[in-house]
Amino acid sequence: MARLVLTRWIPLLILQSFLLAVALGSSRVVVEEEFTEALLLKPLPDRKVLAHFHFENQAPPSNSHGRHHHLFPKAISQLVQKFRVKEMELSFTQGRWNHEHWGGFDPLSSTNAKPVGVELWAVFDVPHAQVDASWKNLTHALSGLFCASINFLESSSSYASPTWGFGTNSDKLRYGSLPREAVCTENLTPWLKLLPCRDKDGISALMNRPSVYRGFYHSQRLRLSMVDSGEERLGSGMLLEQSLTVVLQPDTVSVEKQLQPSWSLSSLFGRKVVGKCVLAKSSNVYLQVEGLAHPETQTLWTNAEFELSIKPDRTLRELSCFLFVFDIDKSSDSEPFDLGLAWKLPSKWSCQQAPLHASRFLMGSGNERGAIAILLKATESHDKLYGRDLSNGRCTIKTNIFQIFPWYVKVYYHTLQIFVDQQQNTSSEVLKKINVSPSTDKMSSGMMEMMLELPCEVKSAAISIEYDKGFLHIDEYPPDANQGFDIPSALISFPDHHASLGFEEELSALPLLSKFKEESLVRSYTEVLLVPLTTPDFSMPYNVITITCTVFALYFGSLLNALRRRIGEEERFLKSKAGKKTGGLKQLLSRFTAKIRGRPVESPSLESPAAQSSVLSRKLLFKIILVAVAAAAWQYFSTK
Amino acid sequence: MEETSDHLNPTTSTPGNTPELDPKTTMRSSKPGLKRLLITTTVLFSFLSGLPFLWKSVEIYRSQLPFHDIDSLSDQVKSTPLRFPCTFHAVFVGFRSSDPDRLRSEIQDGIDKLTRGSSQCGSCNVSLSVTVQSPDEHCSESLPASTCSYRCGVIKRDVLEDDTVDESLDDVFSGCSGDGGKVYSVVVVNKEKGDGVVKAVVGNRRHAWIVGSGLEERFGDVVVARVSEVFVKVFMNGGREDEDSIRGEFMPVGSDGRLLLSFSLLNSNPRDWIYDWDFQRIDEALLAPVTKALAPIANISVESQVLYHTPKSSFSSWDEKLQSYVFRTSDLPFFVNSNEWHLDTSAGASGRSKILQFVVYIPSGKECPLHLQLPNGEISKTNGFISPMWGGVIVWNPGNCDKDSGSPSRNMISPQDLEQIVEVFLGQFRQLFGFKSEAIYTTELGSYKILPSERGFTEWELDVLSRKHTCFNLQSCATTLGSLSRLVQSLPRMIIKDEIGEQVKYSLKAAKLAQSNASLGGYSSSASSSREARSLAENAFFHPSIMSVSYFSYEHCFAVYSPFFLPVAGHVVLAALREWKRYKQEKAKYLTWLTRKKTA
Repeated sequence: MARLVLTRWIPLLILQSFLLAVALGSSRVVVEEEFTEALLLKPLPDRKVLAHFHFENQAPPSNSHGRHHHLFPKAISQLVQKFRVKEMELSFTQGRWNHEHWGGFDPLSSTNAKPVGVELWAVFDVPHAQVDASWKNLTHALSGLFCASINFLESSSSYASPTWGFGTNSDKLRYGSLPREAVCTENLTPWLKLLPCRDKDGISALMNRPSVYRGFYHSQRLRLSMVDSGEERLGSGMLLEQSLTVVLQPDTVSVEKQLQPSWSLSSLFGRKVVGKCVLAKSSNVYLQVEGLAHPETQTLWTNAEFELSIKPDRTLRELSCFLFVFDIDKSSDSEPFDLGLAWKLPSKWSCQQAPLHASRFLMGSGNERGAIAILLKATESHDKLYGRDLSNGRCTIKTNIFQIFPWYVKVYYHTLQIFVDQQQNTSSEVLKKINVSPSTDKMSSGMMEMMLELPCEVKSAAISIEYDKGFLHIDEYPPDANQGFDIPSALISFPDHHASLGFEEELSALPLLSKFKEESLVRSYTEVLLVPLTTPDFSMPYNVITITCTVFALYFGSLLNALRRRIGEEERFLKSKAGKKTGGLKQLLSRFTAKIRGRPVESPSLESPAAQSSVLSRKLLFKIILVAVAAAAWQYFSTK
Repeated sequence: MEETSDHLNPTTSTPGNTPELDPKTTMRSSKPGLKRLLITTTVLFSFLSGLPFLWKSVEIYRSQLPFHDIDSLSDQVKSTPLRFPCTFHAVFVGFRSSDPDRLRSEIQDGIDKLTRGSSQCGSCNVSLSVTVQSPDEHCSESLPASTCSYRCGVIKRDVLEDDTVDESLDDVFSGCSGDGGKVYSVVVVNKEKGDGVVKAVVGNRRHAWIVGSGLEERFGDVVVARVSEVFVKVFMNGGREDEDSIRGEFMPVGSDGRLLLSFSLLNSNPRDWIYDWDFQRIDEALLAPVTKALAPIANISVESQVLYHTPKSSFSSWDEKLQSYVFRTSDLPFFVNSNEWHLDTSAGASGRSKILQFVVYIPSGKECPLHLQLPNGEISKTNGFISPMWGGVIVWNPGNCDKDSGSPSRNMISPQDLEQIVEVFLGQFRQLFGFKSEAIYTTELGSYKILPSERGFTEWELDVLSRKHTCFNLQSCATTLGSLSRLVQSLPRMIIKDEIGEQVKYSLKAAKLAQSNASLGGYSSSASSSREARSLAENAFFHPSIMSVSYFSYEHCFAVYSPFFLPVAGHVVLAALREWKRYKQEKAKYLTWLTRKKTA
């Protein structure tokens, strides 16, 4: 197979031109591609542990993007070059984020709580007319890259272009989600392939597949954004954020029920960190603990409530939580980094909640029509004050709702009803802004964006809208049509509420913390709805064809027979028959056989009428038996 | 109905009798009626005449393909191998007594002898001219009609130096307006004094020169043979030994005429050391001329990446004598670790373009230095190997194999080392195209020094590539179109869109253009239009709509139409038959009645 290069090819001129080029090029300032990795661990109030892996890969502006790379994944930058993606986010999620227990008002939940299945949105840097084409190509490329059926987002009836309800205001934005996509390790492996160390080294080595997928929630996210360099010549740099959020249940052997479970990295993941990814610029592990009763900064890491197995390198504090920072540079094969947390006293705390908790459900029954309701319930959030908009002299909570309806859910927008504290509300009071793009059958999905301004003291608000179930064409049904159809999650966001974790210390060097410091929009996704549609009997077309054809054939045949009938003749014949009487049964039989054989009725011969008819009937019997045997054999062999 | 039946038997015989129905009656006195027969046959024929319309309505759309043109193209490609016109010019400087016509016929004989039996595609139609320049700068020539003349006395006997001679020879022959201005020349210089060593050099344009003293004495056996050898083995065949090494399947160009060179630097264990390279500069300085030179043959793009944690999958062992780890040639099939080397993530290579992987493998601390041991026990100088149609691998050992205990060192591969790596790359690249990577070409008659080109490929090599490539492309285009036409003809229910028809048409057009360009001697233009022909043919063959065969098959058609047409056809045909039978029977009866009446 392989052949050897035995001797060298010696182009002398190459050396000269190369040295010249090096001499010319060395004056240029080179900004390198950078990679950082971080892991955030956080005990959750409901005895679970959240692990958030965060990888950032940054490519400086350069004119050779898509061609020469050192750390930045070639595949991604080629994608950017080819489809002119300006911003993009792709997430694969299994499980639902528990907003009550896992938090709804912190940067982590607002960016990493994603709807079930696949969600993709992208902003393109192309003329308006080409945006849809770019989107279609991008979905195909991504589905190849991540081994997922993202290409189903290609059809125009599965994506939408939100204007303001999504949070990112751009008219070149496309959004689509696939609630039914099953996420598993075949999606994680290509995602890991984009990391320079993959899962061979560093923090990502913790991603033991069985323990990651045993969790209650896992969401793997990839976000790509362009960083403008300001220089036109160079174009823009790229920032690729990859994060994996997992909620795990530590195995507990604790005696006390009240006590939070103690855990360590090896008990959570079954692996330990044996060193940083050598290519990472920074490699940190953070532990975020909320609701400490006795904050004494000096000996915080081993206090009355809990104890850490490793002394943190730094301790940061915010209003409501503490953050322990560990560098994993020092760990090695001989002494792996295995952070553990052991609780000593029962401890209880609650997470910050979004101002309203959203849930969505279906109303009505039957296969004809129904209604979708979104229920917003006030939470016991103690900092509602943040979102106060006192401009009109009233305290209000602004809420954006963004919802996509598939075309076969035919929504009647005039039936939109808004209830505030169980009182039906005339829309104009609460509803500030609404943007509706109705669906077109088989062409595009419907989209609804609305902005509500609810009074701060609201207890609950409900929105309901009625719909008719459409009929699909027979070949549009998926293979498991009886399972029902999914309506993608609605997105509820609070434009006046921004979550951020501001640590006092100067931490620009740590990428995850700078991420937390940025104010992020508080948002939450609702449940996916399952709408059962009427599913036809899929053999129906053939049945219809067969029945109508049989009816037509019968009609046609009898008409033709009637046309060529000679009634006078038959009557005369019957009359003559009546003259020579014979046994009633025999005559009937002979007429029957004559019908079958298509011959004029024989007059029973005088010689041996009985013998002949018995022969006939034997023959007939034989035929019937033959047919029955053939049918039975066919049945037997075909079912076998 | 009743009246008709009455009408039918206005019997003149006894009215109470029923002569027609009684089978024993053998006569009737009236003519049998035609009415029912007419009705049933009309129905039958209207059904039969409706059949073509039904057939038309279930027919599927098929664009008309030029089957005849396709067949004639493949016949032509098969029967007459494509030949390009090549102009050869031999100049003998410093020969006193030589008859150019005799020389020409001798060289022609030599060329014929060498090309005999290998009438393969992409070779030359030779037109040869010979000039003999005597020491006193007097010339005698033997020229075929179309070639240009060599200006006598331009080449001096003693000024031939390797570095500059190429350019000056190009100037000498630049005035020639041969086929596309391309003239291959061999200059034989007989020096006045010398040590009898014959030096033969092939330049990187289209010229070769043989310099020596006392050549006149050895004229018949050596000089003529070597001149014809240079023409045939070097200029015509590109210095390749085995003629079939560059058959179609080994041409590393994608069927859409694109070639992607993907360079990867593999740090097998970054915990020991990390090496990086500045590939962009390499690309700009060293690879750009090569890709530009090969532009007529393939649309080449270059990309690079650095990968980490990529161990090789074969084992290496420590060799005391060589003080290094060695892997043997038998290990090479297992060297490439396709599980860990994620080389192939390229959105740039869309569709059917070809990717050649070039890999620089940096061994980890546990296996450093790593060397390739040849079967004869020696260490390979390049420390690399190629895999045809896949690419090449080079093992590059860091200068110092002792790893520091602390954190891994980050290094850049020095420009000198990188330049060496690129040299090996270019050698491998040439080998993948079927050329030699050596600077010396040896035959039975002696060796030739081959001057390298800064572009990786010399002009005469590019000519050879163009010729072979045109030929291969045309062959492949013809076979693809031939298979398409066979496929289309064998599947009558296949939908063929207009696009496919268009592509086939344009492909044939481009193939014609390539053939005519080839006969005119336009090497690069015929190469690029043959490339287009091939890619269009492949596009037509792999058009996505060609997969829509399976739906609406005959079975489907039968299932839809048979529930109606089968029973109805039964009725109609049976009715017509019976009426016809009855008519015949009744007519016979009538005829017997007639005859009896006559006799009576």
